[in-house]
Amino acid sequence: MEKLYVNEIRPNGEVSTVGLFYSRNEAETIVAQLRSIPEKSGCRYEIIEAVAGLASTNPPKQKE
Amino acid sequence: MADPVLAEMVRAIGLKEAPHYAAIKPTIQDYRRRWVELAPYRDGPVGPQRTLVNDPAAMTAGIKTKAVELGANMVGICRLQPHMIDLGEDVPHESVIACCVAEDYEKVMQGADAVEEEAMRTYVRCTEIANELAAHIRAMGYPARAHHNGGSEVQGIPIFYQVGFGELGRHGSLINEKYGASFRPGFVTTDLPLVEDKPREFGVQDFCMNCNVCQLNCPGDAIPKEHVMTHGIKRWLIDLEKCYPYSRLRDEYCHLCVDVCPYNVKSHPETYKAFMKERKQVGYKTPKSW
Repeated sequence: MEKLYVNEIRPNGEVSTVGLFYSRNEAETIVAQLRSIPEKSGCRYEIIEAVAGLASTNPPKQKE
Repeated sequence: MADPVLAEMVRAIGLKEAPHYAAIKPTIQDYRRRWVELAPYRDGPVGPQRTLVNDPAAMTAGIKTKAVELGANMVGICRLQPHMIDLGEDVPHESVIACCVAEDYEKVMQGADAVEEEAMRTYVRCTEIANELAAHIRAMGYPARAHHNGGSEVQGIPIFYQVGFGELGRHGSLINEKYGASFRPGFVTTDLPLVEDKPREFGVQDFCMNCNVCQLNCPGDAIPKEHVMTHGIKRWLIDLEKCYPYSRLRDEYCHLCVDVCPYNVKSHPETYKAFMKERKQVGYKTPKSW
């Protein structure tokens, strides 16, 4: 099966992984649904192949 | 079959139904029937007399007490946010109340069937509690809808995190410091004025970075070493293509990743040690009943 990450790229550049999907159609459907949410109008989305070792490099959330 | 990954895998091996669901035992069928029976009572008419809420903190305390009286082991409240709602669904409520019922961890010593039966029993309790709590709130004149195995439009894990039940673990479930991940959820969304709880962090994500017990015990090698970040939180995304051959394409239940989690040791130290001794004896990655 194909394995694809959907990443959300926020206006400030932060990358947040939406999830792991198993077909391009499923990944594209999720992206279309996310794009229809007004609060996410400033976000961009990317669909990338999931390969071993791939992980976002954002630091963990700082405790307040 | 709602799960497209499972549907594709079942089709690929020439079956119409996942073997796990085809081989369900009568007791578990009864539990499933029960939450289906309760599904029509998730929502209903709102009482005509609205109770005035002058003190949201007192109302919150009253709701939490009610949930505990109904059988919940944990109750938490947060504002309902868009990422907590299923994509494409509309839940027009301000808050969500999360209720959890702990499973009896002792069942791990009786094998896969006992663990599955306990999980299903707990789901039924969560269904009953959520429905009754929603009805209680509607009787006070506020809209309220229950979300559970009989029907749901909300996502459990972001709600659990936000209400402070715990942190996301490597095995993909939320870990509570008292119950580990051995609990099941029910939710109520509502407009009743309530005071929010806050997320609580107690080191789970740092612990999971170095603890590989669930990964070592997963018979399908479905738990990854690497994590991704979502909303600033570490997530280890379980590979369903590797998980399902053991959790859906066999007759037996597989709940090993949660049952071997060291966070179970606080609530059941002796059982956890005995269970892990058995796991070591069989060589960890046991594909059949433990």
